[in-house]
Amino acid sequence: MATGFIILFGLTMLYLAATSRIIAHIRILIVQGVLLFLISCCGAEHTNLFNLIFLAVETLIVKSIVIPWFLYKVLKQTHSNRDVAANIPHFYCLVISSIVLLAGFLVSNYFISSVKMIAPIYFGVSAATIIISLWLITIKHKIISNVIEFITMENGIFLLSLSVAKEMPMLVNLGVLLDVFIAVYILGLFVNEINKEFNDLEVSHLSDLKDYEYND
Amino acid sequence: MINTILIFPIVACILVLLIKNRTFNTWMVNIYALLHFIFSIMLVWGKDSCLSIPYFAVDHTNSIFLLVLSLVYLMVAIYNTGYVKNIDVPDRRISHYSFMILIFVLSMTGTILSTDLGISWVLVEATTLSSAYLIYFNKTKHSIEAAWKYVFICSIGIAMAFVGIILLNVSSGDVNSLNFAQLYQHAASFDVSFLKLAFIFMLFGFGAKMGLAPVHFWLPDAHSEAPSPISALLSAALLNSAFLVIVRVFKIMEIADCTSYARLILMIMGFLSLFVATVFIYHIKNYKRMLAYSSIENMGILAIGLALGGVAYYAVVLHLIGHSLAKASFFLTSGNVLELFDSKRVKSVSGLVSADGKSGWLWIASFLAICAFPTSLLFISEFLIIKTMIADKHYILCAVFALLLMIILFGIGRVVIKMAFGELSEDKAKLIQNTKNKVSIWMYVPQFIMLILVFVLGIYIPECINQVIKLAAGAF
Repeated sequence: MATGFIILFGLTMLYLAATSRIIAHIRILIVQGVLLFLISCCGAEHTNLFNLIFLAVETLIVKSIVIPWFLYKVLKQTHSNRDVAANIPHFYCLVISSIVLLAGFLVSNYFISSVKMIAPIYFGVSAATIIISLWLITIKHKIISNVIEFITMENGIFLLSLSVAKEMPMLVNLGVLLDVFIAVYILGLFVNEINKEFNDLEVSHLSDLKDYEYND
Repeated sequence: MINTILIFPIVACILVLLIKNRTFNTWMVNIYALLHFIFSIMLVWGKDSCLSIPYFAVDHTNSIFLLVLSLVYLMVAIYNTGYVKNIDVPDRRISHYSFMILIFVLSMTGTILSTDLGISWVLVEATTLSSAYLIYFNKTKHSIEAAWKYVFICSIGIAMAFVGIILLNVSSGDVNSLNFAQLYQHAASFDVSFLKLAFIFMLFGFGAKMGLAPVHFWLPDAHSEAPSPISALLSAALLNSAFLVIVRVFKIMEIADCTSYARLILMIMGFLSLFVATVFIYHIKNYKRMLAYSSIENMGILAIGLALGGVAYYAVVLHLIGHSLAKASFFLTSGNVLELFDSKRVKSVSGLVSADGKSGWLWIASFLAICAFPTSLLFISEFLIIKTMIADKHYILCAVFALLLMIILFGIGRVVIKMAFGELSEDKAKLIQNTKNKVSIWMYVPQFIMLILVFVLGIYIPECINQVIKLAAGAF
């Protein structure tokens, strides 16, 4: 059961790589939040009730309602619907992401299966998610897409922490949740400020600070 | 007492948000600085038995970091009193500014005092989020660019550090805790291959915060665009707190018997930082960026010292103190220069000594302190590091180290001398007539105190301070 959800989670990354409409990216975030909730429920036989409630709040409320809603608001304010001019055509994005995902499966099955502490499939998909997200950050042109990929990377890390057979201390989980939430909030505020200042959300505007030809 | 240091700023924050009065808000920052300073001294030297509360404690390693943070924050707060008067913004924004300074210092103090890797992680991320607003305080196009880069790069870096923490959790087997004491206790039985992987992730994650190359890109932008008191705090306090986390993680590697591997990576990153600083300082156009690159250089030296081990640990602690004081003084003085000349370009500034003697000489003295001119404390630390290199027979490394430091010294020296002396053109002189009264007495005193400390500590370290330094070096 859990394996199916994890594979679906991996496939959402391919969808993210292949589309250019930002509203679709935000919908993918909702899907990922729900999938993470289902995955954490599947592996939850050994956890206590308090932990389960916390996971539900984190994945369902924060990851699939609050953050997407907030990003949707930012998107409406800034009127940017598409990230058209990516550096690499979408087809190649899809191919490269698929290769990374496949490599994640293979590497984790060959090397990690000997370690008892982590489940290979979790490890492979989460590592692939983190790598694909980081790579997409480097090729996208709109800063709001960068924020979305930052969140998918955090989702990948969340999946990685689920893969460890034992739990992180509760306080750390809470702190991580709070920090990620505030980080997204601040990034969202900055997106608005950048939109006001430059009337646009192109990353290329943010390249004025240099060492050689410095304009004061 | 730790309770008070950590709870007072929260109360102060609420007050600052409620009472939006410029004088009140500035004084709240000052009162916390004074309280922080007094309590830190009492925590380190006092006979108080209550040195730990759950998750936070003062131990041998972090006491010197705490003292440096307190002293720098106190000095920055004094400078800030004069600085805030000149900022032409509504009181509401000054209240936000003071609020964020309090949160920033609180999270740095928390990072330094925490005894748990997880809590350290959370608080390091909190420092990023609180200082982002401070970097963006001027609300120009450049400052928004710097703040965006800062939040984005550091958040990704810190996320990578969290991957490292998860991997550490995997390698630690049955130990289900991130408490440093417990990690040290069981480190010998950790799974080595996962521990090595975890160390790489954590070094890059916290190294991004510390400003080690090749993950330093946010640093010059953020330091040059932030208001000067904030640049001083960033450079002299924030980088140290990230360094403390790296020191603690390094100790796990040491106990787990992966020292040579950890040392090699630290050494590479340290020399890369020195190299990056050398390349960029040589052609620098903006004097605040120059100071930022000098911070990268000094963080590189700390990493190299940590990698060398032995006597170099003592040198690392000395270097940390000296760099924090000298660099804070340098950044605060650069704030004076910016007030006077209203430009960050090296080209537009000349004749600083004749324009404003006190700022000019502070500028030169800060330069002498940072470039390890005897009797600066940095002279002793760098000398000890070179001595350790020779004693360990790393002759080539030693030569490269000395060469890079010399080029950096030349690069900074050229800019500083060009700015301090030279002709003061007429329109600049006119400009300075207007701006000179902005620089009040509070904007000279802190630098003066810090420079005196750096140069005196280079000759004579009182026994009580030496004791703390020795204990810290021993606990590395």
